[in-house]
Amino acid sequence: MSAAARHPDVPATATASPTGAVGRVFATERRKLTAQLSTRLLAVVCLAGPFAFAGILKVQSGTPSDSLLGVYVHSSGFAIPLVVLAFAGSWGFPLVAGVLCGDMFSSEDRYGTWKTVLTRSCTRGELFAGKLLAAMTFMTALVALVAVASVLAGVLLVGGQSLVGLGGALISPGHALALVLLSFLICLPAVLAYTSLAVLLSVATRNGIIGVIGPIMVALATQLIDLIGKGVIVHMLMVGSAFNAWTGLLTTTRPFFGPLIVSIGVSLAWIAASVAAAWRLVRSRDFAGTAVGARVGWVAPVRTVAIVVAVIAALALATDLGPVGITRARLTASMAPEFNQVTLLQQQLIGRAVPPDATFYIKPNCFKRAAVSVGPGDWTCTMNVFLPRPGRVAFERSPVDYDVSVASNGCYKAQSPPAFIGGQTMPDARGRSVVNPLYIVYGCFNVL
Amino acid sequence: MQALRARGLVKRYESTLAVDGVDLAMPAGEVRGLLGPNGAGKTTLLRMLFGLVRPDDGAIELLGRPLNAPFSIPLEGTGGFVEEPCFYPYLSGRANLELLAQLDGVDPGAVVDELLARVDLHGRAADRVSGYSTGMRQRLGIAAALLRSPRLLLLDEPTSGLDPVGARAVAELVRELSAQGVAVLLSSHLIGELENVCDAYTFLRHGRVVWDGSADRLAAEAPASAFTLHTSDDDRAAAIAAAHRGVRAGRSPRGALAVAVGPEGLDGFSLALGQAGVAIRRLELLVSPLESMFFALTADTEATLHELGPHELAERALAKA
Ligand SMILES: Nc1ncnc2c1ncn2[C@@H]1O[C@H](COP(=O)(O)OP(=O)(O)OP(=O)(O)O)[C@@H](O)[C@H]1O
Ligand SMILES: [Mg+2]
Repeated sequence: MSAAARHPDVPATATASPTGAVGRVFATERRKLTAQLSTRLLAVVCLAGPFAFAGILKVQSGTPSDSLLGVYVHSSGFAIPLVVLAFAGSWGFPLVAGVLCGDMFSSEDRYGTWKTVLTRSCTRGELFAGKLLAAMTFMTALVALVAVASVLAGVLLVGGQSLVGLGGALISPGHALALVLLSFLICLPAVLAYTSLAVLLSVATRNGIIGVIGPIMVALATQLIDLIGKGVIVHMLMVGSAFNAWTGLLTTTRPFFGPLIVSIGVSLAWIAASVAAAWRLVRSRDFAGTAVGARVGWVAPVRTVAIVVAVIAALALATDLGPVGITRARLTASMAPEFNQVTLLQQQLIGRAVPPDATFYIKPNCFKRAAVSVGPGDWTCTMNVFLPRPGRVAFERSPVDYDVSVASNGCYKAQSPPAFIGGQTMPDARGRSVVNPLYIVYGCFNVL
Repeated sequence: MQALRARGLVKRYESTLAVDGVDLAMPAGEVRGLLGPNGAGKTTLLRMLFGLVRPDDGAIELLGRPLNAPFSIPLEGTGGFVEEPCFYPYLSGRANLELLAQLDGVDPGAVVDELLARVDLHGRAADRVSGYSTGMRQRLGIAAALLRSPRLLLLDEPTSGLDPVGARAVAELVRELSAQGVAVLLSSHLIGELENVCDAYTFLRHGRVVWDGSADRLAAEAPASAFTLHTSDDDRAAAIAAAHRGVRAGRSPRGALAVAVGPEGLDGFSLALGQAGVAIRRLELLVSPLESMFFALTADTEATLHELGPHELAERALAKA
């Protein structure tokens, strides 16, 4: 400590504008995040994960058929990013939000560095805003990374073929690419809602573990709650409801946008509420040092767990509230044109000349097994197809039974026993093995 | 303009009244020692000055700018730390300083290197802070405090964990900054280190200011200093001390003669020794005026300085010695 002192009369701190201070906090936060192993690992997983997924599918013949459009992962590269997106929406993005942002504020408690950064030339508000901005920016970048990586993985490893949409019609490659990218974009508000929630948990509990696993726990609770209840209100109000919204765009029979608009509004409301609550806590908080660390025992975690359990129970009880989303009429109205569409597609694949607007005479009949016919769960749909018989007056009625599992977001997977419509794959006009579009049928309808 | 003004600061933690109506004022260039026993409220006071905790009552002005309730004013020109400085353990010392410079809007370029050299950390600057010793972290904290050339420096036990060379360097640094007009508030237990550095002192006990004044006033008012005395005839010297008003004598643990004597008493006592033909061979300061003040003010008793007589105070200084 021998060098001459610097001249204190020269103010080293320029009088920066408030946005400048937020920018400075953002820059330091970016530096901290990129220096952390967890952030680098997340970037690697987001980049390499889709390639690994596509690569594994390439070497083995199975398909993730429970996921929407999952049977088509070998026939169109554009199915890959959509399957990745469905998984990411259920688990991946909440996990990433927790790992990246759930410790962003609590780590300052753990390292005791609140006092270090709060005694610099930025206010609490600027510090909060800069950190939040960094969290949102990094999450957006990771979503973009997953989107680009999964599209590339699909196109490079499977190919850029046309995609069978949720209504059963073919979507051209260019259109499919646009829809895929748009789907990722639509999920962004939900990702940022989970991010805000992670930030709130991190601020409120000052505990990195709760901040990191909290979002994935919310995602788990969402999965459970989505299995029950016939009302739409609770399902639409969940943090991640916008993760389902892209399905309306890919429904070729009749695209719908109601749930998309509502769920994006819900995401924005979650963001606003979480950020406001987190800011209130940071603003009013005393940074009184290690005594706080000593007080972290079992009380805070137990209280948090108790609150969470109570909220989940209340939500589960409330799932019947509101208008009924999944009804017999809606499922029937969705299945009939779709079945028509996939039948045409099948005939085209086999090589029969079918006029593109041809319609079969189909009378569907759907009912829920062992229950009143409303709500998500296992349904059975019998498609009565009336085929014209040459030379006869009467039509021949051939019933096709589908086992339909309907999710609370209005999307379903319908599968028929092979006896009726053939196996999962079939030879096409040139003898190649292709996916039989009638074997598993995916579709969605508007629950609002 | 005062560098620091605080009026009527109160802070209560649940049941503890940590700070109870503290007033403090420091002009530019003043070095003030903040003294008090453990739990006196020194750190809490500094936390309030930094806006880290919200005072329950009172007003704070830093460099002429009020620190308002929502703590929305950045601490321009004020630097320092409370308790042990903390950094991001996964970053190097240099990266930590660069990060803080970035937060301040200071170009980290040359400043960081200069400060690392100044606190003798340049050799380890590239190592992660997680591998630093306590003293190294303390040095880094001092560098961080100087990063933006503060005009008001608030340091909470800055020499804790430092080796004697480091502690002395901090004292030199503080004097140097003070000569340049920086006001420095130093909280410390290590009284010896404050003694030659501070222009003024504030003593806290149970969250209240029990004494506040300049170093000169302290020297005048200090109850008694204690010395070890080596004379040609220790037994006679002890007898003379016993007879002399305002002087208390005893034996130090190693058998040497120890005397406690107030500021005015020493002249008379040494003359008396001379008249009795007892030569003073060596006089060593055992308890400085500042220390004896500290002992007096921080004793468990609720009595204030003026309620205790000089006799009582001398007794205490001796007992502590
Ligand atoms: N975070 C906290 N929560 C509750 N009480 C606290 C907290 N921090 C300090 N206190 C209490 O406030 C009082 C003053 O503490 P403070 O840390 O300010 O003392 P100090 O003078 O800095 O002590 P030391 O010399 O040990 O550093 C103490 O009684 C302490 O127990
Ligand atoms: Mg302290």
